[in-house]
Amino acid sequence: MSADVEAAPPTATRTYRPAMGRGWWTRKSHYFWYMVREFTALPLALWLLWLLFEIQRAGRGASGYYPPSSTPFVIFSVICLLFALYHSFTFLSLAGVILHFKVLDRPVASRLIVLSQFGGWLAASVVIGAVLIGFGR
Amino acid sequence: LKERDLAEKRITIRATRFDPEKDKAPRMQSYDIPFTDDAMVVLDALNYIKSHVDGSLSYRWSCRMGICGSCGMTVNGTPKLSCSAFLRDYWPRSVTVTPLNNFPIVRDLVVDMEDFMEKLKSIKPWIIRKEELPLGAGEHRQTMDQIDDFRQFSQCINLGPAAIALARRYNLDSRDQGTKERLPMLAHPDGIWECSFVGECSVVCPKGVDPAKAIQQTKLDTTMRFVLPYGNRE
Repeated sequence: MSADVEAAPPTATRTYRPAMGRGWWTRKSHYFWYMVREFTALPLALWLLWLLFEIQRAGRGASGYYPPSSTPFVIFSVICLLFALYHSFTFLSLAGVILHFKVLDRPVASRLIVLSQFGGWLAASVVIGAVLIGFGR
Repeated sequence: LKERDLAEKRITIRATRFDPEKDKAPRMQSYDIPFTDDAMVVLDALNYIKSHVDGSLSYRWSCRMGICGSCGMTVNGTPKLSCSAFLRDYWPRSVTVTPLNNFPIVRDLVVDMEDFMEKLKSIKPWIIRKEELPLGAGEHRQTMDQIDDFRQFSQCINLGPAAIALARRYNLDSRDQGTKERLPMLAHPDGIWECSFVGECSVVCPKGVDPAKAIQQTKLDTTMRFVLPYGNRE
């Protein structure tokens, strides 16, 4: 081939860029449960906002504080509790994937990390429960 | 499947077709082909179509043994290596073959890997030494525990978040000293923080790698280096 012949410049190829539909998370059960995992944080945030509001009311005196006793609120709280348990369960289960450390130059097994997380959760729940029951008496 | 049954078996392959010079958007095309061998994989079916039915069908493949990753496609909604996706696992249902998700489509089942290749190059997927040892110093010796640290990530091929998994592979390698060079690219807004931890990449990985683990551990690494005093020391 002659040295005078220049190579033709590469022509740009038109590509098609697929758009991700809004319903992508309904395609697979794994995606769906991921969205449930993330969504559970929203009712918890609403419940905690309400708690902050109640704490502010309690700051004005005992007469300003009245724990709601309406049935809809109790149902909402139970739903939030279930969401909190699910969120905590998934979060702690994933700790074994995320955490990576060594003791005496040997990696700690993922299962041990997850068990220690659940153990800590249980211990914290017992302590907080005991404190609340103790104050309630 | 028995031999007599196989002689009569047929299977429907639905494949994405896209001609950038004619089509505005991809379309699906169905092919009814003989399912003659119980060991047939999706790639065999595509090769049959190309050889006997429609020579214009475009797709990539190379090694045919689950090593190179060239034949990565989406089979019935799941990312697969078409050379190791057996038709018997789908028959008598039809098999729908589409390009890998989230990549621009060049033609039919061929996707544009340029962005991935750039990312792969940017994380420097090789062992980086501050100072190379002379050859006379001997090999870099590693214990089995040190090899186990990165072994699974070294299986990663060009499917899913392979660049991050490979970066993790080298960051965990006791011979490597390049973590600090890789972290800025990994911590880039288009890097690890784009991952919301759905975890599907680890579920579907045909090589048994856990890329989600690599990503989350790298998130923790970069955060600890940012938060802890002397976190960036080497």
